[in-house]
Amino acid sequence: MLAVLAELRNEQYGYTLRKGLAEQGMEIDEGTLYPLLRRLESQGLLVSEWREEDKRNKRFYRISREGKVVLKQLLSEWQSIGHSLESVLKES
Amino acid sequence: MELLDRYIQAVRFWLPKAQRDDIAAELSEDIRSQIEERESALARPLNEAEVSEILKQHGRPLLVANRFQPQQHLIGPVLFPIYWFVLKIVAAFYLLPWVLVWIGINLSRAAHSDKSLLDVLASFWTVFWPMAFVMVGAITAVFAVLERVQGKSKFMDQWDPRKLPPVRDPNRIPISASLLEVTFNLVFCIWLVAGMWYQTSLHFSAVSITLAPVWAYFFWGFFSLTAANIIASGVNLFRPYWTKTRALGRLVSDCIGSALFCWLLQANIFVSISVQDLAAEKTARFAGAINWWSEKMFPFAIGACLIILLFDVYRIIRVSRASRSAALLNAVHAATL
Repeated sequence: MLAVLAELRNEQYGYTLRKGLAEQGMEIDEGTLYPLLRRLESQGLLVSEWREEDKRNKRFYRISREGKVVLKQLLSEWQSIGHSLESVLKES
Repeated sequence: MELLDRYIQAVRFWLPKAQRDDIAAELSEDIRSQIEERESALARPLNEAEVSEILKQHGRPLLVANRFQPQQHLIGPVLFPIYWFVLKIVAAFYLLPWVLVWIGINLSRAAHSDKSLLDVLASFWTVFWPMAFVMVGAITAVFAVLERVQGKSKFMDQWDPRKLPPVRDPNRIPISASLLEVTFNLVFCIWLVAGMWYQTSLHFSAVSITLAPVWAYFFWGFFSLTAANIIASGVNLFRPYWTKTRALGRLVSDCIGSALFCWLLQANIFVSISVQDLAAEKTARFAGAINWWSEKMFPFAIGACLIILLFDVYRIIRVSRASRSAALLNAVHAATL
């Protein structure tokens, strides 16, 4: 979810998003990605619109204003967990 | 792209109605992009087998569509353990006894009629399954309703730790159980001594009963056993914990009691019964019927006694385990001090 929100700071459609994530080592199959996109949109964290590109209709997603706030919170939580885990691993 | 259209049509069928077109269009676009990318890499159009391979990677249409459905369940994870527990209780304490009693009754009936074992099994099948289905179905329906109520009112979230039951110790003997045992054995002992003290002829106001001479063995057997049980239950009353010795003692006492009881059923104990103003022929038939039924009850009595003895053996195992783990704990404490 964090990766998807972060990737959608730039507008993309489903296929390029999936490819972009895979190229960065985070493979998400479409059966997981599309339902996730719909859930995030229904929660108001993403906005989408159908638009024509290369003579084909594609659905473009981008992060909403509310989504940006949530992404910020999630990032800080993620970093805090990372720090905690790091100190636990150091101790042991 | 015929294969792709067929695939999308199959997925579409299982999609939620409100979003059907939207999801189908997006999914179709995703797969199309994948196919086009592959085609430009190979510099030729994909054949049917290659398109089929891509579609197979996406998964079976039903499974793909399922991921877009909201999560649904009849009985959710909160209530499911209770539902499963209730089903097990019903199976163990209602269905199983019902089956055993039904089989017992119908087998003994079949023995006195021309019905074959296959007839009995066939009628069992027709009676048991509807009953079991109705039982399990009713429980499932009740829990499905509870699940809906729980979804709205969240009644399972309202609980108080102070209302939890006290810690149960299976090796502790409840005082009420010991008191009941002492009382029962005492009453039986008094009845045995006052009413049947070593005699085979019993006279009541209008009834006289003559017992077989073998009764003398039963009298002393039951008398000794009851006296021993009074002492054992008295000890349990003041030292309310099962020990290995006492659990073994209970097993021995129950073994003797079971053997005596089963022997009594087979012993044709009633020689004659005479009732005032009743023809001797009738009372003789009555005494015969009691003896006959006693004999018929023998296999059931064996079954009941075996259950009691198995429970006694389980108690010994439980007590042994508890004392072993207590010894282990003591050893650990001693080592850490």
